[in-house]
Amino acid sequence: MTQHLTLSTRTTAAGPVMELAGELDHHTAPRVRDALAGLALRPGQQLVVDLKGITFCDSSGLTVLIAARNHALAADATIALAAVPERLSRILGITGLDDVFPSHPTAQDAEHAWRTASD
Amino acid sequence: MCETGEAADSKDQAPVHEEARFSEMLEDSAEDLYEHAPCGYLSTLLDGRIAKVNATLLDWLGYRRGDLVGRMDFSDLLTVGGRLYHETHFAPLLQMQGEISGIALELKAADGSHLPVMVTSTVKTGSDGQPLLIRTTLFDARDRRAYETELLRARQEADQERDRLKLLNTTLQKTLLPPTLANVPGLDVSAHYHIASVDEVGGDFYDLFPLAAGTWGLFLGDVCGKGAAAAAVTSLARYTLRAAAVYNPDPAAVLANLNTVLNHEYQGTDPRFCTVVFGLLTPDPDRGGFRITLASGGHPPALLMRADGTADYLPTPGGQLIGALPNAHIATTTVHLSPGDTLLLHTDGLTEAHTTAAGGDDRYGDDALLDFGRDLAPTTASDTIGAVRDLLDAFGTGVDDDTAVLAIHVPRPLSEEQQ
Repeated sequence: MTQHLTLSTRTTAAGPVMELAGELDHHTAPRVRDALAGLALRPGQQLVVDLKGITFCDSSGLTVLIAARNHALAADATIALAAVPERLSRILGITGLDDVFPSHPTAQDAEHAWRTASD
Repeated sequence: MCETGEAADSKDQAPVHEEARFSEMLEDSAEDLYEHAPCGYLSTLLDGRIAKVNATLLDWLGYRRGDLVGRMDFSDLLTVGGRLYHETHFAPLLQMQGEISGIALELKAADGSHLPVMVTSTVKTGSDGQPLLIRTTLFDARDRRAYETELLRARQEADQERDRLKLLNTTLQKTLLPPTLANVPGLDVSAHYHIASVDEVGGDFYDLFPLAAGTWGLFLGDVCGKGAAAAAVTSLARYTLRAAAVYNPDPAAVLANLNTVLNHEYQGTDPRFCTVVFGLLTPDPDRGGFRITLASGGHPPALLMRADGTADYLPTPGGQLIGALPNAHIATTTVHLSPGDTLLLHTDGLTEAHTTAAGGDDRYGDDALLDFGRDLAPTTASDTIGAVRDLLDAFGTGVDDDTAVLAIHVPRPLSEEQQ
């Protein structure tokens, strides 16, 4: 069984958006962690992790989300999740992480929320 | 024009000249090619007697021509095993097909040493189609044999390394689990650890141990990730939990302590965390049974199967996983365990297991586990663990993560059981 994850990043005025699709697990987590290190974040910006295409996420996947949050906080920025799949949303609920990861239906909604908060 | 003419002449002459030179360099005699070819040639009569042999093969075997021609059969040159193979396979196939190629055999040299060769034979027929003799070429296969032996050796070594790694992982896994669970008077305890992969150490853990003044501590958790790095966290988590419980047995305080330790130890891009449930067991002399206070750090809820046949999860909402956040919120709940009640703690390897071989979104799930508990209740610790093991066996390879389960049960008094 091959493990697939596609990763792309784009930049908006609100901050970088990282789009993940496929399986976020033990095998694919290191790639995302490497990508995080190269992500430019300015203080006050918001890092959005778009999870629309995620089909599987295990505990290593959670590690990546927490690493992303640490990365954002270290840059005096914030983090938000977009399009969290139902199963992952349940895991975030069980692990109590829903409190520390604001989540939005889409990346656009996340950007909009950031603008509203910044105004 | 003149220049062009000269150039044309020289062009015409050159190939002729070159051809002659090549011809000189190349085989001037077919006989020499036969005798000193880089392979052995052998012609035998249909009954196997050697009729002709080239110098290369004589040289390899250390025979003189007179030793072989007319005096020995091809099969006389083979080792015992080779002769058997020649008789049962080689010769019949050659007779049937008229040719046979790429057969690995061993020749016996005059000095008794063995020479691995690749053998190809064809039957030469006369103009009337009748077979006349057998032509055989033999290639020196010593290099090839050495290569094969080397490959085999490397493979055996790799297999041995893999076995050693498996043994190491299994041993390491065992050191992360208590060899036996403490015997708690008035309580039946049973546990099981399911290893999903022997190639990597998993991160599940549990323990049950005495604390001061007739109270008992228990915990069960799941460190994120696999392998040696996760095992190090598992070890740290176990010892921290036991030490913290001695210092202050309040379950929320125990988990807060572990959170501080893990959060300080692992930060930045490689966060390490675990989900864990810690319980403090206190005998309840007034009502019988035990009181248990459970603190959860982002762990799936415990399943309570009661004496009256009902079953429910004991939710601990809002508890956050341990080690990821500086001030993780820890949720607690307290229940009374009456005689006949059974409490099951599990890691999500059980609920995340695939229920079909097809994979995909066919995971067992929390609802199925609750139904499982409702079917079992009322039950005992060992019956619960037995049923979970049967369940895991039924999932087979569908269990792709390690799974730990721990069940505690308050037995009914003997007099009540007899009724």
